[in-house]
Amino acid sequence: MKIKIKAKEKDGIVKVKMLVKHPMENGRRKDAQGELIKVHHLTEVKAEHEGNVVFHGEFGMAVSKNPFMAFAFKGAKGDKLSVSSVDNQGLTGQADVIVK
Amino acid sequence: MFNWRKVTGWLLLVLSTAAIAEQYNLGKPASEKVIAGWDIDVRPDGLGLPKGSGSVEEGEALYDQKCANCHGSFGEGEGRWPKLAGGEDTLRDERPEKTVGSYWPYASTLWDYIHRAMPFNAPQSLATDEVYAITAYVLNLNELVDGEFVLTQDNLATIEMPNKNGFYVDNRPDVANPRCMKNCKDPESIKVIATIAGITPTDHFKHDGNDGVAYQESAVGVTATPEVVKTYQNACKMCHDTGLNDAPKTGDVAAWQKRLNQGKPAIYNNALKGINGMPAKGGRTDLSDEMVKSIVDYMLELSE
Ligand code: HEC
Ligand code: HEC
Repeated sequence: MKIKIKAKEKDGIVKVKMLVKHPMENGRRKDAQGELIKVHHLTEVKAEHEGNVVFHGEFGMAVSKNPFMAFAFKGAKGDKLSVSSVDNQGLTGQADVIVK
Repeated sequence: MFNWRKVTGWLLLVLSTAAIAEQYNLGKPASEKVIAGWDIDVRPDGLGLPKGSGSVEEGEALYDQKCANCHGSFGEGEGRWPKLAGGEDTLRDERPEKTVGSYWPYASTLWDYIHRAMPFNAPQSLATDEVYAITAYVLNLNELVDGEFVLTQDNLATIEMPNKNGFYVDNRPDVANPRCMKNCKDPESIKVIATIAGITPTDHFKHDGNDGVAYQESAVGVTATPEVVKTYQNACKMCHDTGLNDAPKTGDVAAWQKRLNQGKPAIYNNALKGINGMPAKGGRTDLSDEMVKSIVDYMLELSE
């Protein structure tokens, strides 16, 4: 799954915005044939900076498609931020970004 | 660009204005420069594009500054502002998401639209290369070009949009619609069976509308009246909560402290008369001077 990230530093604070492309099917919707669409949602999104977890979210079926997240932490330009995600079907996503 | 039909059209226009000018002493012939200012359309084959270029990377910085407040950092759309990315494979869904990537047939439209109409609050303020860069970035948000891509007048027409073949010529004949002059249907008997009322929220078109959402800004420790707070939200928030066009953000103590050095009367004056990106009264000339000053007090109070 694709993860888009923007991380910008100002006055020692890195503001991060990210978007995980995910259908976030809650398992209760029906397709055109009236069949239930299989539940498919993120379970976990985690961001690490220099070995520290700076963001951790547990997701369920109440979150909408392509969830957008924002958070901030103390850091500097040039630092690396690694984001990873897992969903209930075991699919994973990973992306790194250098703080601007 | 060279287009005979257009040239003839302009010639006729120029000739007729010249004739009128002679006859009635009205108007003046359009100069080539004036015509060039109107003639800004860009066609799918690239005809009409001015020389220039811009990279995805340059576009990202410009987009974050000038577009993200409304269209979202990743084109996902803030609030009710339009989405610019996503919506792939949704055109047959019950609620299709029409975006640049999922719907638009040609990249030239994107260049033309941004050049012509965006940013919404300052149309035609972008330089040619900025339009190339931002267009490149919006294409990148739609995963149509990679992060290293540089858009130019030569490669724009080569970009294939995913829904290019989703359009067709509607060749159904026109419906006859003759005027009824006698023995017409009694209008009383005509029943409207569908309206958009209740489906499309229209409340936000009103000056005091708030999109039907009953929200209340927390007013802890603020002395402003609810009317002042509400007017701020309708008239100033769009720029001052977001920092649009480098507007000082409400609550950004440092930014306002700097501005306070010039003294309050000067600040009031700038809010009333406008300065750089700040339109007079925030563009709301219907507001009284007193109201604008009270809002400034409110903004300052939230920023101390
Ligand atoms: C103040 C909010 C605002 C800002 C800032 C803004 N836009 Fe828009 N944008 C709009 C609105 C509103 C529309 C819809 C206009 C309409 O349909 O008449 C729109 C429409 C668009 C569309 C067409 C979307 C579609 O699918 O029909 C594009 C493309 C676009 N904007 C690009 C940009 C770019 C690029 C920037 C920055 C240079 C920008 N906008 C800045 C509000 C904004
Ligand atoms: C279209 C965006 C926009 C809107 C709407 C807007 N502002 Fe502004 N405002 C700006 C910008 C940009 C600046 C910074 C101008 C500069 O100093 O270059 C600014 C600056 C200001 C300042 C500081 C002036 C100074 O002397 O430093 C005040 C006060 C202010 N605005 C009040 C308001 C009020 C009150 C409203 C609503 C009635 C409002 N603004 C609506 C964009 C906006």
